Amino acid sequence: MPAAHLTRRRLAATSALLAAALTASLAAATLIGPVRASLWTALGPGGEHTPDFAILFRTRLPRVLLGAVVGGALACSGASLQALLGNPLADPHLLGVSAGAAVAGAIALMAGADPVSPIVPLAAFLGALGTVAAVFLVARAAGRTSPYAILLVGVVCNALGAAAIMLVNAIASYTQAQGILFWIMGSLSAQSYGLVAVAGLYALAGAAVLVRHAHHLNLLAAGEEDALTLGVEVEAVRRAVFLASSLLVGAAVAVSGMISFVGLIVPHLLRLILGPDLRLLLPASFLGGAVLLVWADTLARTAFAPSELPVGVVTALLGGPFFLVLLRRALRRSAP
Amino acid sequence: MNSNRNTVLQTDCPAACASPEARDIGLFVGPSAGKGLDLLPVRRVLLPMERARRRFGGLLAGALALLLVSCAPAPPQAARAVPRRVVSLAPSLTEVVYGLGEGDRLVGVCAQCDYPEAARRLPKVGGYLSPSVEAVLGVRPDLVLVVPSPGNRESVRALERAGIRVLVAADRTLDDLWAGIAAVADALGVPERGEAMTSKVRGKLQAVRARVEGLPPRRVLLVVGHRPLIVAGGGTLQDELLRTAGGVNVAADAGTAFPEVPLELVVARAPDVILDAAMGSEAGGRELFAAFETIPAVRQNRIVTLAPDALFRAGPRVGEAAAMLASAIHPEAGGS
Repeated sequence: MPAAHLTRRRLAATSALLAAALTASLAAATLIGPVRASLWTALGPGGEHTPDFAILFRTRLPRVLLGAVVGGALACSGASLQALLGNPLADPHLLGVSAGAAVAGAIALMAGADPVSPIVPLAAFLGALGTVAAVFLVARAAGRTSPYAILLVGVVCNALGAAAIMLVNAIASYTQAQGILFWIMGSLSAQSYGLVAVAGLYALAGAAVLVRHAHHLNLLAAGEEDALTLGVEVEAVRRAVFLASSLLVGAAVAVSGMISFVGLIVPHLLRLILGPDLRLLLPASFLGGAVLLVWADTLARTAFAPSELPVGVVTALLGGPFFLVLLRRALRRSAP
Repeated sequence: MNSNRNTVLQTDCPAACASPEARDIGLFVGPSAGKGLDLLPVRRVLLPMERARRRFGGLLAGALALLLVSCAPAPPQAARAVPRRVVSLAPSLTEVVYGLGEGDRLVGVCAQCDYPEAARRLPKVGGYLSPSVEAVLGVRPDLVLVVPSPGNRESVRALERAGIRVLVAADRTLDDLWAGIAAVADALGVPERGEAMTSKVRGKLQAVRARVEGLPPRRVLLVVGHRPLIVAGGGTLQDELLRTAGGVNVAADAGTAFPEVPLELVVARAPDVILDAAMGSEAGGRELFAAFETIPAVRQNRIVTLAPDALFRAGPRVGEAAAMLASAIHPEAGGS
């Protein structure tokens, strides 16, 4: 099954299955929450003036949708970064790309940008782009990247990002610093459909570019030499993938702060089931990431109700052990 | 030397170890030191004090000092000298010192100590919970006032090692305030002024209580941060002040002092009044809740923006804070 050849039918069937799973998850997650709300009351006569309607459709649904957008964006960018860097441990958070996005977003906030405007995602996108470029340049200096090199670059980028964020905090005024800190810690809470639309637009644009280049990225992942021989414009593809994955991370970080490991877990699980073909893996990762984060956030909302956990806590608790297993496997494989 | 410990504890010796400061110092000392104390023969430790101190660090010595003070005769007069140069590392304690009429003894305050106006002109010796040990030592204090917190614990220990007398007083609740006023007044050698101050502040709270007596209690949500949504929970100073002002905190059961809660909880709990004390965002609160006309506070336009500072300090202005809350919760009861 994993090695099965990718046909148009298999692509359509898998995508439809995952899309159905996502739709079901969105519906279920909207009905689950710390507070009881009746769908019948909300949809009954005069329902839009009931608290039930406000709870279900004005607070819970936008939040669930935002979780789906962010999860999809992170997983899809993780899958593309793993292919581009030829490294199974690439993840936007571990590589420091999320930190780069957070630094740039924090600077935009300090300069007075409104947290809900499209400026912050744009700044976050530029920050992510700069970090991806830096990771790539350093990791590639040793030729084909090793797990060590890439993790070390990630460690450094994260440390630099953390330092830059602290610096911004030290320079910003007291009230600004508070706002920036909360923004970075992130949360899917208290969101609006407007924010879902902004983030969704950025994320879908990024995902579309990646899917369009999936075939070339496949060839590139198999080896740069081979790709060149087969007529792939390697530099152009690489540039497009850089831009698109940064756009995805920028969108995710701008609306939800730093959420770790989604970009690692989802592509790996799906690769085990679906095989490595990116034409299938990229859209599947988007849908799978959406499902994962919707459920992780549902857990975050309900586990200690009525207080809530930051969703990043849930993903890190799920993803940390998963990452260690992967790391052990990668190191064994790269051992002489 | 250890005399600094002795003096502080000696000040409130009548209350012995049950006084809040002793408890707080006990908190710094930690349970392991207490255990070590049981294991050591007291006589052996009494004589080679210096050696014991070197061996077990300042912690054990502090615990021993505590024991000594409660059983030994009062130390020599020199150690009981009234402090002339005082540093306050908490906005609440700074206000207490000024309230006692002893502001001219202050030679340094924390960066957040902004009230009264005179406090702003004093040398700043670091942040509320991140004091600079060097800066504190630089103003040559003979008494430092701090609140117990994991953030300043190491700095406080360093000050004590440098031989500075430290008074630890909590500032979380009204009971903390009464104990803090008494402890600071005692340490400054003006206990009768402490008593006067306490009864004055208690009187103001009583006046607020009288103002709202007989009025139906209103359901109130006190918002501290917007994104994510953070509110005042139970067991906090704010909760006590809300009750004093004739309100019922709808988030009192949320489990932690300042829980992050989902927006839907606000819709479900339907507060009559929303008090918005989030920093640096006057319009933010209204905007956040505007779409939820099922919340009585939104429908009746009872969203009130409050200046946060006085409200978040267990200091002598709690009476004013309670009066401000009463005006916001029960505007029909008239001003004070």
